Amino acid sequence: MGSRSRLAGFVGAAALALLAAAAHAQNAPPAGTVVDGSLKGKTLTFVSYGGIYQDGQVAALKEFVDKSGVKLLNDGPTEIAKLQAQVESGNVTWDVVDTDDFPPFVHCGKLFQKLDLTKLDISHIPAGQVGECSVPAMNYGMVLMYKNDTYKDNPPKDWKDFFDTAKFPGTRAIDGSGSPLGGLIEQAILADGGKVDAMTPADIDKGIAKIKAIGPDTIFWKTGAESQQLAESGEADMIIMWTGRAMTAVKNGAAYTPVWKDWLVVMDQLTIPVGAKDPDASYALINAYLGKKSQEILTEQTSYSPINNEAQPKVDASVAAFLTNTPDHAKLGYQQNIKFWVANFATASDKWTALMAGN
Amino acid sequence: MSQTSHTPTAGDENPRPSGAMRGPQRRLRLAAYPSLLAMPALLLLIAAMGYPLLTVTLRSFSDPAWGLQNYVWFFSTPVNVTVLWRTFSIAAWVTIVCVIAAYPYAYLMTAVGPRLRLVLILCVLVPFWVSGVVRTLAWVILLQDSGIINSVIRLLGFDGVKLIRTQTGVVIGMAQVLLPFMILPLYSVMRGIDLRLVQAARSLGARPARAFLQIYLPLSLPGVFAGAIIVFILSLGFYITPALLGGPRSTMLSTLVQSQVLSLLNWGRGGAMGVVLLVATFVLLALAAPLMRQRHKQASRS
Repeated sequence: MGSRSRLAGFVGAAALALLAAAAHAQNAPPAGTVVDGSLKGKTLTFVSYGGIYQDGQVAALKEFVDKSGVKLLNDGPTEIAKLQAQVESGNVTWDVVDTDDFPPFVHCGKLFQKLDLTKLDISHIPAGQVGECSVPAMNYGMVLMYKNDTYKDNPPKDWKDFFDTAKFPGTRAIDGSGSPLGGLIEQAILADGGKVDAMTPADIDKGIAKIKAIGPDTIFWKTGAESQQLAESGEADMIIMWTGRAMTAVKNGAAYTPVWKDWLVVMDQLTIPVGAKDPDASYALINAYLGKKSQEILTEQTSYSPINNEAQPKVDASVAAFLTNTPDHAKLGYQQNIKFWVANFATASDKWTALMAGN
Repeated sequence: MSQTSHTPTAGDENPRPSGAMRGPQRRLRLAAYPSLLAMPALLLLIAAMGYPLLTVTLRSFSDPAWGLQNYVWFFSTPVNVTVLWRTFSIAAWVTIVCVIAAYPYAYLMTAVGPRLRLVLILCVLVPFWVSGVVRTLAWVILLQDSGIINSVIRLLGFDGVKLIRTQTGVVIGMAQVLLPFMILPLYSVMRGIDLRLVQAARSLGARPARAFLQIYLPLSLPGVFAGAIIVFILSLGFYITPALLGGPRSTMLSTLVQSQVLSLLNWGRGGAMGVVLLVATFVLLALAAPLMRQRHKQASRS
């Protein structure tokens, strides 16, 4: 009797262990789903860049919040230095952090957790966008916007024309809001007939010299709002703009046209900080965020492109004109060599900062 | 008579004898520890200023490793030295513009009747209450190539001037933001100047210009120096205005600190930049101090 019950106990335990193993091996719950009431009584702090972007993200997460019962707090804007302070002091209050391109690669494993991809359904994320420490939060692009009045019948067609001030005179405005624009430096090298597949740090100098050669009147805008203001007031003849800002500027009457050839692919990233209080809850949030419906809401509210390839957002023509994931636009995108820029991040940043400071 | 005037407040407020007894006692205690009066301010300064400053200084020597590497890096990187020099030169220009703009204004404030003076004070204070960012954005609209100033200039048939994204634009914007810090100390000193001294000089045969230069100007110099120091020091740390109104060639040191700390997480380098700026400012003030004291003495002598 005693031995039999022990045996039964053993079998039961083994079965349980097997079940657990099976559950572990099984893929994550499909993107966009969450178990009802699974996070009741828990709190998650979601950190992003504020404005209509974070509002849209919160709207995209509404179903997740309602179903899981989690209490969602918002914080921002994302500041890597702040995150570093949290991680170093061992008091991490952020659970899911939206960052720009490079930080999850530069600080992978140190500030951002290596992601356990069995807990996320990444099957609908566009190819090549999942990093070791991040999944994309949305896609957008940097497009060259030219002023219709200035160029009329002979507009610039690509980055080569952007760098050609003899054939295309006029003031240029460049994104000087933060990290170096790896994509633009690569295009500068390409415009000079160089190659980018085997770049060395010395090539960074060449690319930056090419950007500097555009001339002393070049504008480096510091915020998205400033770039939009430049377009709406017609201050510059060619402006490198984020697609969301370009869309809004055109909506507000800026007479500019985008050049889609080799538009620079950019994405925001979702990450989980090292030392986050409840990583499983963080995973659940991200997995819900990646869902088709969430991504549709995100795009409808923010005009950024969804990162679920099944999403069919309903947007009007003016928004659709600046979405980067439409077939005609998607195939023209230019993806910078992230590996190179991550490996040379400090050097590139120092040189870029010097360019921004007029040196 | 003299005794009653010597024991003023406590007795007046509290006519009861016990109150009159407590008054002198309390004064005695404060007289024994006058430094107690500074305690609240000192504590606040130590907590909000001293401790962070200490941390920053320590990190500039210890991050990523102990040593002088951050300072070596600072002075061996051309952009840092250029921008440090530029920061001081922009601050100096802003100070000069502020002195020139504020001096006649503050004088006017002392010369007009009370009602007009109130209007003048409001003109200084109202912009002071509006956030610096908002005012800077207003300057963007005014100064840009297609902005109001340039439109008017073009309407008059002249070529447009480049104002935004130049050092001139930055100096204009910063001077406007900082003007109250110049006007208020100037006004408070000028208000105390006895104008009969100028009249006396005139009656002894001095021309107006001479009376001003020899009597009024020296007496007002303490106000000029006080205002100039405040404006100069505040200018050194400006961040938003140069970022929005300036171009690459008007980037100031704070922008470089921001990029080192926030995007590269080089706390050590950022700290070193801050320490260099602080020490350079102290050195400059130490150089200016004897000059000021001398002028001050001259002023009081005359």
